[in-house]
Formats: sequence, structure tokens, C-alpha cells
Amino acid sequence: MCIMASRTTMADSHDHRTRERWNTYGIHVVVIVICAFTIFPFLWMLSTSFKQADEVFTKDLRLIPNAPTLRNFPDAFDYFPVAHWFWNSFGIAVLTTLGKLVISVPAAFAFARLRFRGDKVLFAMVLATMIVPGIVTVVPNYILVSNLNWMNTWAGVVIPSLPGTAFFVFLLRQNVLQLPQDLIDAARIDGASTIKLLTQIVLPNIKPAIAVVVILSFLGAWNQYLWPLLILNDFESKTLATGMQFFTNNAESAQMWGPMMATAAIATLPPLIIYAFAQKQIIDTFVTSGIKG
Amino acid sequence: MAVTSPDQSAMRGTQPVATNRAWSWYRVSEGMTPYFLIAPLLVLIGVFIYWPLVYSTYLSFFDWNFVRPDKNYVGWDNFTRLPDDPRFMRALRGTLFYTVTLVPLQVFLPLGLALLLWPIRNSRAQTSYRIMLFSPTIIAYSVAAVMWLWIFNPLQGILNKLLVEFGVERIGWLSDRDTAIWAIIIVATWKTLGFHMLLYLAALEGVPKDYIEAASLDGANHWQIMRSIRFPLITPTFFFVLVTTVISVNDDVFGAINVLTDGGPFDSTTNIIYYLYQQGFQFFQIGAASAVAIIVFAATSVLTWVQFKFVERHVHYG
Repeated sequence: MCIMASRTTMADSHDHRTRERWNTYGIHVVVIVICAFTIFPFLWMLSTSFKQADEVFTKDLRLIPNAPTLRNFPDAFDYFPVAHWFWNSFGIAVLTTLGKLVISVPAAFAFARLRFRGDKVLFAMVLATMIVPGIVTVVPNYILVSNLNWMNTWAGVVIPSLPGTAFFVFLLRQNVLQLPQDLIDAARIDGASTIKLLTQIVLPNIKPAIAVVVILSFLGAWNQYLWPLLILNDFESKTLATGMQFFTNNAESAQMWGPMMATAAIATLPPLIIYAFAQKQIIDTFVTSGIKG
Repeated sequence: MAVTSPDQSAMRGTQPVATNRAWSWYRVSEGMTPYFLIAPLLVLIGVFIYWPLVYSTYLSFFDWNFVRPDKNYVGWDNFTRLPDDPRFMRALRGTLFYTVTLVPLQVFLPLGLALLLWPIRNSRAQTSYRIMLFSPTIIAYSVAAVMWLWIFNPLQGILNKLLVEFGVERIGWLSDRDTAIWAIIIVATWKTLGFHMLLYLAALEGVPKDYIEAASLDGANHWQIMRSIRFPLITPTFFFVLVTTVISVNDDVFGAINVLTDGGPFDSTTNIIYYLYQQGFQFFQIGAASAVAIIVFAATSVLTWVQFKFVERHVHYG
């Protein structure tokens, strides 16, 4: 609409405007086709998760099940320890998020507002970790975790993944830098110690950035695959993302498409809910943080 | 331009200006505080990122299988023997194939779509569009792969059922060595399409309106504005997407390969990341896996450096 308004001075002919409107319709059609492509696997997963076994195997391709059933969900929970997997995914995601906050926020504050010997070099060392692909450190960390007897534990998954937080340190530091200098100076003049400055002045003022870190690190931990795949070998210690492969491992469960899709639906639900609530915030942060353009 | 005096630059820091006070516990602890604040992060980075780099380098000179108590020193053998392994050569080929196909699909396709979507950015359907486009990005790659496993299923999957419906022969999507890699490429394209598109759209929104108004007052048309103002101003985003895609694309498809094909059939869908995983955790060739890890790290570093050099010279900062 804006574009059209700015063009009124051109005294367009009626023809021109009709063409413009048809162009707009055309664009909508193309976008809807693309949306159908991105959303279809989700719809098909949901549809299958509510279908009875015999309907899954018919030639009939219906998005809305003929005779919808909820049985696939309890069936999945009976056949595999899906409840355990859910609990493991949740616990690991929460602890990873908390751990990353606890190590990232103070460091981001120190790198933004304090001057100390070696600050630039140390910050560069933190940022440099962003270019180390996760796969490169997998073998030594696997040996370390197994020597520590952390195999099949939450600690084994969570603790080695905590230092993968350089981007969050960067993001938080940017936000601390943007706080008005007056705010910091006023607190200093009042005699606030560094710790007080962090907890009482800086922390309350970077809440939106912290919210973004919480969302992104929860999603990242909920969705991580390779590392928990290696560390969690017991049946019941798996997460949803890594446990789902059991369905394909034996001939019987590999045909249980209803329960398999029900489990997939459970695995995708928390990320989709979080995204639904924080859509604008997530996108805005990527833009304003600078690193994403 | 104001000249920055030493006083002003000192003010940037927050250390209270020292007024030659006597030694006090307060000042010592304040002096140590920054190190306490960064210590947990640095210790963890040291233990789980920098030390593994050093230890990987060490392991790459040994023959070891995880369980044997002693490691045999073999010099550069783990590196020099790689080209003799046909699986490694197939992994290299796969790496190249993923890069060559997925970079255009993940960098240019979303850009085109963003430019397409731009004229209707104020439409009421935008929010719904964005939610649908972004959804694949926020779920686990492995779960996404399970969803697609069902779609690609040879007998019961919807794709083949539709083909049969139209009288076309079934395709062994994941079992045929010509199509399997394309199945993974479809999943990978699907996974990032919406996200990259939204990054471009956000960048387009960030272009100052003044520039656009000035240009249209000078008589520039829609296309000229797009080409000469909007596109140059979103080049940082373009290069960001390009850099991250080139660097991470082979890493990203790991979950999809693992769930959909396990590198097969006949290593047709493997890549260097998957080769490393198999050497290390399926064949327990720790030395060979570590050698590949060092190569991956070196290649990533070089790529990052080259790309940033290039970005520095060719980007118009808005």
C-alpha cells in the first residue's frame, strides 16, 4: 500500500493499477505455495498421529483422519519410554539454559564495562570459539566424559555444551554497552561495588536480551542431536530428539507410523509454543544484535 | 570531529578514578572482580574447546581404538593414508556436492523469495506467512528428518502414493544412490528457507526510508531502488548468510543423514563430518577421526578468514 501511495504523483492510468493489483495477487499465490511446502510435513505428521493404524496403510490420502483416535499417544508411551525422554529433554534444556546464563552474563558485563589486564585478548579468545565446529571437539570430549563417569547422565550432556555460548556473550555484551553511561556513573558515584553494579543496575536493564538468550539456548538444547546421541546410550536416558531413532531400529516399531508421528509431535510442540509466543522478539534480536546484518 | 582527550577515554572505563588511597581490601577485591566474573566461562572454554583442539592434534599422530591401553605413534600416517580410503574420497565428494547444491538453495533462493515477498510486507497475511515459513527452523533436525522419513517411505509414504496415483513408478527415495542425496538436500533446503528469508526481509526493513524517498523524488523506479539502494544496503546480511551457510552446511545436515540414510546407500550421502563420526564412533579409529577433525578445523578457519577478508572489502555498511 505504501508503494502505491507514493506513486500517485505519477498519475498512473487505471490499467497500471489493475496490473499492480494482479501482481500482488500473484505474489500471494507464490508465497502460499511456499508456505504449503514449509508447513506440509507438520500437517502430515499431525494428521498421521491421529490416524488409526489401518488408515495409515490405505491408499486414501486424507489430511483429516477418517476416524480420529488418540490411541497413538499412549501406544507410543507404552512401547518406548517417551515420558522419560521428554523429562530428559526438558531437564537438559533447562539446566543448559541456566548454566549458560550463569557463565555468560557476568562475563559479558566484565567484557563490556570493566578494564583489566588482558581483557581484549581474553574476549577475542571467547569469540574465536565460534569458528570451532562442534564435531572437531567431539572425540576428546567423549573420552573426557567417559573418564569422568558421566556417560548416560545429564551432566555429561550439559556441562560440555555450556561453553558453546560465545554468541550469547557477544549479544549480552552489546546490550550492556548500549546502556547509558550516566546510569553506570551514577551508581559508581553512589559507591556501588562492581558486583552491586552488575546485579542491581545492569541486570534489570538487560532483561529483554536475557529473555532472548533463554529462548535461544532452550531451543538449542532441546534440539541438539550429535552430542546426546553419543553420551546417552541407555534406553531410558535418551532425549526425544535422540530417542526417536529407536522407532526405526526394529521391524515392528518401524511400521508404527501413528505412534512415531505422535512422538514427533510431542518433540516439536515445546519449540513451536515458544516460537508462537516470542516470534517478534526472536526475529528482532537477530536483526538488532548486528551480527545477523 | 571532536578530539578525544585522554580524560574522556579514561571515563569510558568504570574504574573509579584512583585517588592514591592506601592499600585496602576493598581495592584488591575490586581489582580481582573482573577475573572472578569471567573465570567460569574461560575455564569451561579451556577444558571443553581449547584443550580438545590440542588433544585432537596429539591423537591424530597415534593409532588407537578407545579401549586398548596403549596408543601407537604412527607419525603423519593418519593424514597421508586418508586418500587411500575410498570412503574418505566419497565423503569428500559428498561434501563438495552438498556445498555446491545447498549454497545456492539456502542463500539465493531465500533472497529471491524475500525480494518477492517485500511488496506485500504490509498485508494482513504477513504474520501467518512468517509463522509458517519459520516453523521448520525451530525444530530439531533429527525430528524434522523423522517427519520426512515418513513422507519418503517407499511403500506407505505420501510422495510415492501420489506418484502411483498419477501412474508414475515408485521412487526408492532413500534407498537409491542417485536420489538419496537429493532427499537430504530437500530436507536441508526446507529447514532453512524461511529463516534466511526472514533475515533478508528484516534487513530490507532496516534500510532507512529517507534514502528511498530521496531516490524516488529523483525519479528512480521500483527496480532501480531495489538494485541501487536496497540490495547494496543488505549486502552485510547477504554475506552473513553466505558465510554461515558455507561454513556450517555440512555440519547441519548431520542429523538428517544420521536419521534418513546413515551415510548410505553405498556412501552416496556421506560427507566429511559424517565420515569423522563413523571413523570415531562406528569403527573406533580414533587417530583417523582426529586427523579428519584437524583438517575440518583448518578448513573452517581458512574459509572464515577468506570470507571475512572478502566481506570487509565488498560490503556497503548502511
